[in-house]
Amino acid sequence: MIREALTHLSLLFLCRKSQELDEELRFHLEQATELRIAAGMPPEEARRQALIEFGGVERVREQCHQQLPGWWLGTVAQDVRYTLRGFRRNPVFTIAVIATLAVGIGATTAVFSVIDRILFRPLPYTHGDRLVSLGLGQPLERQEFTLGGFFFEWRDNQQPFQSMTYEMGYGDCNLTENQPVHLHCISVAQNFVPTMGIPLQLGRNFTAEEDLPNGPRVAMITDGLWLRRFNRSTAAISQQINIDGHLTRIVGVLPRDFEMPRLQPTDILQPAQVDIAAQHTVNSGIGYPMWAFARLKPGITVAQAKAAMQPLYLHTQQWIPPELRKEFRLQVRSLRDRQMQDAYAAAWVLLGAVLVVLLIACANVASLFSARGAARQRELAVRSALGASRSRLVRQTLTEAFLLALAGAAAGCVFAEILLRVFIAIAPTGVPFLASARLDPRIVLFTVLVSLICAALFGIVPALEKPRAIALAARQTRSGADARLRRLLVAAQIGLSVVLLSGASLLVRSFWNLQQQSLGIATRNVITVHVPLNWERYPSGFLDFYLRTEAALRRLPGITAVGMTDSVPPIGGQGMRYPELRVVGRAPTPAGLGGTVSVRHVTPDYFRALQIPIVNGPGFTDPERNSTGHFMILSRELAARMFPGEDPIGKRIEVAIFNPYRAPGLIYSVVGVAANVKNAGLTGDDGPELYELATNQPDTWSDRHFFVLDSSLPVSVVAQLIRSSIAQLDPTAPVEVSSMTQTVNQLADRPRFETALLGFFAFCGLLMAVIGLYGVISFVATQRTQEIGIRMALGATRFDILRLIADEGARLILLGGLLGLGAALASAQLLKSLLFNVAPRDPLTYAAVTVLLAVVALIATLIPARAAMQVEPVVALRYE
Amino acid sequence: MTESTDLLQGTLDLLVLQTLAAGPMHGWGVALRIQQVSQDVLQIGQGSLYPALHRLEYKGWIRADWGNSDNNRRAKFYALTATGRKQLDAELKGWERLSAAIGLVLGQIPEAAS
Repeated sequence: MIREALTHLSLLFLCRKSQELDEELRFHLEQATELRIAAGMPPEEARRQALIEFGGVERVREQCHQQLPGWWLGTVAQDVRYTLRGFRRNPVFTIAVIATLAVGIGATTAVFSVIDRILFRPLPYTHGDRLVSLGLGQPLERQEFTLGGFFFEWRDNQQPFQSMTYEMGYGDCNLTENQPVHLHCISVAQNFVPTMGIPLQLGRNFTAEEDLPNGPRVAMITDGLWLRRFNRSTAAISQQINIDGHLTRIVGVLPRDFEMPRLQPTDILQPAQVDIAAQHTVNSGIGYPMWAFARLKPGITVAQAKAAMQPLYLHTQQWIPPELRKEFRLQVRSLRDRQMQDAYAAAWVLLGAVLVVLLIACANVASLFSARGAARQRELAVRSALGASRSRLVRQTLTEAFLLALAGAAAGCVFAEILLRVFIAIAPTGVPFLASARLDPRIVLFTVLVSLICAALFGIVPALEKPRAIALAARQTRSGADARLRRLLVAAQIGLSVVLLSGASLLVRSFWNLQQQSLGIATRNVITVHVPLNWERYPSGFLDFYLRTEAALRRLPGITAVGMTDSVPPIGGQGMRYPELRVVGRAPTPAGLGGTVSVRHVTPDYFRALQIPIVNGPGFTDPERNSTGHFMILSRELAARMFPGEDPIGKRIEVAIFNPYRAPGLIYSVVGVAANVKNAGLTGDDGPELYELATNQPDTWSDRHFFVLDSSLPVSVVAQLIRSSIAQLDPTAPVEVSSMTQTVNQLADRPRFETALLGFFAFCGLLMAVIGLYGVISFVATQRTQEIGIRMALGATRFDILRLIADEGARLILLGGLLGLGAALASAQLLKSLLFNVAPRDPLTYAAVTVLLAVVALIATLIPARAAMQVEPVVALRYE
Repeated sequence: MTESTDLLQGTLDLLVLQTLAAGPMHGWGVALRIQQVSQDVLQIGQGSLYPALHRLEYKGWIRADWGNSDNNRRAKFYALTATGRKQLDAELKGWERLSAAIGLVLGQIPEAAS
């Protein structure tokens, strides 16, 4: 609309201008004629002389027009019209370019938008880049944590930080009002909010008095809770809510984008009210566990801060039992690094893959443009001969590239939005922030610019060459340099696809291995039931509730076994150090050797519900649950390690406690050996494991225990029965039911996600490379039609022709394939951390990829080659 | 035809401005005057005169108005604007500096040769 109006306006203006100019020039001519008449020339001759002297009127007119600032804008509309006409005449080229650009731009933008959130997103804290996480690193817990006995000494003596704060991560609490709701309450230090730089929406931070032991009960609530419970009313401030039976006053509302630095779910922040003086006495003298964060002083780097904290750490080492000291080390790193430690590898691989896709897309666009450029050489030569200037031709090409990039970008944005939705739908919950990923306009702009530049670059090259007169005369247009460039581009595309394909195949094989491995447990028909109970309602412990629930569940139809445990495979149980186990009558294993042992606290039916065979000994029995004895089942691996060549049944094992020093522990009787199960996640190795019998001693039961059921009915049916039977025992108890298959599947979500994405990119890449190959071969075949006709007339068979054309493709495939294999082998190491039971240079994978690519690429070559073979010699000879 | 000299790049604008400094004039008049004043050495082709006039007009250095010529024909008269006058002063200074410099160089070469 606007453009049209402007064009009309400028045309009107130009019209008026040109009339004036005509009059002016006429006046000039008349004056010149009159001068000559006055000198005595006959009028006819005078006019002729004046005209000769004047020269080309049209040229002057043109030049006058060109003096107008921005006169060339008028030609843009002309170029656009011409370009659109060209696109209509050549829809295959247009669609190929737009589709290529759409895939390239779409995939790049979607993935960048995701990666951006993971790798480069700003933390939702004021100057979040100055925040660090610090604490103790240890083999059992890679993410650093700290303890009250350490933290306060560090905080009071540290130099590098403006302030240090902590959160204690006490997770569960219940909003015990009319409708009981299970919430996540986190205890934090009084200076947590100001140190992290969290701007409150409403209200105030905790005061120092509120953080003292036994201080008043106050809370800050998140935006989500504010909305759900108070509908964002400002009256929420200083209202009281009932948390676990205690009236708690709300003093502040956290911002909408609030998140805990460890990203755990949060509804309520409460002051930790830690008794600092008691930290050297509680929890065996090391203090409560906590997670420490600090804000760097300006100009201090993370490395400097770590160096400055090292002496303090060495001083506080005295609180660690000497035999464990060398396991611990001080860990200081930026908050971002802590949050992203697992996502980095996947993010970089995705980024690499998508850049390769973009490269292939650019190469494809470039080779398409270049092929078209060669085909249009005659047209350009004709236009040039008709008076189009070089700059005009370049502008014309630029207009084309720009229009195509624009169309491609529009299609790409739509594609990106769809892709992003797909990502979010299939992504595992473990990928942080994916759900909130949005298309970033800056990234869209960037990718559009990249494609525009590569289109323009390769589009301009043929236009820049002075259109040779020979192109006009020649019956056939050929440009050797262009053809070579095009072939190189196609070879590069094939090479890049090999890189993508081999990466994707490795991930597929790894995923296959992951799915095929034996977990050592049955997952079909196994249901887990978790009841997060509230301490306050069960002052005498949970045992009674658990026993009654167990009995109720056993009565349900279709339930064949009801076991209880505090964890299920493939996740490990609580960690224990191997030296903490001592066979009675033998010397203890030296501390620091032997790694860790996974410990589960289970009832006898646990083994039946998960179908873990007891390979030796009687196992746990129900009567033993009521005894005061201590019984233990070892995994086969642990048994073989502790009792090589002996029968472990009846042996006695002391479980020592290292808190803080080695103290005499409980003596357990070994009553069985169970088959090994996965206990270090899907990708981990089986570790040694032991089972303690959960006896009916109330103090050994925690709120972490849950039920494992073997059901002959589907989960959806049983879940309702389970809920209602538990509701009869305690109507306020929240019940979480999930199927084991689902839980295990969720663990594989992440590899599935990575595999699906990389597979998709590999497919895109291969598709584009094949299109590129097909395009070039069919172009070459068309250009050589006349040659083919001559060859056939001279006696070449059709098979010779097929070989002639296919040869060309085969050379490209060979070159590209070799380059790609080299690049893939060189970059395979990047994938290593994502692979399971597959070597990054697995020969079988590379062989398969090579064969697949060769077959697909040969087909892309043979189709145009066959077409060339079937050309009738007479037609080919006449062909122009 | 008399021998003419190729104009130095950019000097045409200066000549036109200088000519119009005497008063408003139409295109024909400008060409004629430059030719007369330069004693037929400088002949401005119409092919460059009119584009130059238009260029100067777009730059705002000269202004065009329709008026009547001496023989009572409608003609377009060009006149110097205030900006044009300033520009003329600046270009004149630049020209003097340039020609003085060229003069110096040209004057020294024979001396050095002798």
